[in-house]
Amino acid sequence: MALALKSWKALGTSVLVLTTHDDRLEPATTAVRQILEDVDAAYSRFREDSELTHLNASPGRAIHVSSLLATAIDAALRAARITDGAVDPTIGHAIRVAGYDDDFSRIAAGGPHPALPRERGREIDSGERGRQMKLRAWHVPGWQAIRLDRGSRTVWLPPGVELDLGSTGKALAADLAATAAMAAAGKGGVLVSLGGDIGTAGESPSGGWRILVAEDSRVKPSGDGDVICVPAGGVATSSTTVRRWSRGGVILHHIIDPQTSLPTSGPFRTVTVVAGTCLDANVASTAAIVRGEAAIDWLTGCRLPARLVENDGTIHYIGPWPDPTSVAA
Amino acid sequence: MDSLTPTQRDRGLQRLRRLTFGATAGGLIAVVGVGYAAAASYAGKSSSTATAQSTTTTTTTDTTTSSSSSSSTTSSSGLQSAPQAPTTGSSGSGTVTTGGS
Repeated sequence: MALALKSWKALGTSVLVLTTHDDRLEPATTAVRQILEDVDAAYSRFREDSELTHLNASPGRAIHVSSLLATAIDAALRAARITDGAVDPTIGHAIRVAGYDDDFSRIAAGGPHPALPRERGREIDSGERGRQMKLRAWHVPGWQAIRLDRGSRTVWLPPGVELDLGSTGKALAADLAATAAMAAAGKGGVLVSLGGDIGTAGESPSGGWRILVAEDSRVKPSGDGDVICVPAGGVATSSTTVRRWSRGGVILHHIIDPQTSLPTSGPFRTVTVVAGTCLDANVASTAAIVRGEAAIDWLTGCRLPARLVENDGTIHYIGPWPDPTSVAA
Repeated sequence: MDSLTPTQRDRGLQRLRRLTFGATAGGLIAVVGVGYAAAASYAGKSSSTATAQSTTTTTTTDTTTSSSSSSSTTSSSGLQSAPQAPTTGSSGSGTVTTGGS
């Protein structure tokens, strides 16, 4: 029995499907493609015809949404609640105004300050590059402003609120895709990676799924770094070292701190977490980046295995993370 | 202004007590009612908590796959932990990279 692998691009990132039975790769891949198409149609921020785009353009009205979008919003609200708002889906306008307003492959690497109406934006000093610069940011309204009725699948957004489900949405998609792929495969086990956010279902290979822990998901699996074996669950990495651009001379990235409406500037540049699901791993890793210095105590309390990389490269291991110096399996 | 007789004063006090009790009970009912309505659908909260609940993952044994039968748990943080802790591995066939994207 050999592991079988297929990869392609979707949702603006890399997709990888791994099955423990090579004859099950095709049905598993078909199932993953279908899930990703559904996800793109439901909550892409960059498709004019997506449900999320319609919802964001309909403030002050109760909008009936699909089961998938309701599930994604529910997951995002749960993430916000669990993290005390460190992971907040109402950063949509803030991240768009900061310059991330299209599929990342199409946004300009550099550009001027975003122009904002004075009464809505905030000017905040940024100390990037050792000097004070003015960066206009959009106030994040907060996840409490959203109303979701799960029973009737209706969502109400107040004016000025724009949802971005990018963080939790991709991780949720990895979990959903792994589950669907496993159902289609019918035997063995399946791993699905969406840009380094990893969901698994079914039986793992002997010893567990082998995961190279890197700061950039584009690093080849044969590259240098810690390799861990994960028997089940999900793995996610959040990093400020990827998806970077500049506006007004300030280097920006895609992880927004809801408290400041700006990209985070804490001590950790990359955090990897192993959890029961890819979604929960992603919630923890993103929240850790946002929480900054408080992340270690918070992750320790969460009892999740985690690996944090400081801006200077110092690595911290939290919880039952395997000893990187022990003999490899 | 004429002074009230004891009977008139007692009736007035009884009326005042009834009004006070009615207002208190009405307020309590209103608070409970609003509380239920808010619990059903208030800002930022959904009526489903399915994703926060514990689940069980069971795997079976054969010669090539891992053998385990264990449960994920949800910590006080509300985040679900993996059924088994990761172990140290080495790069090889089927290795997948996790990292920022």
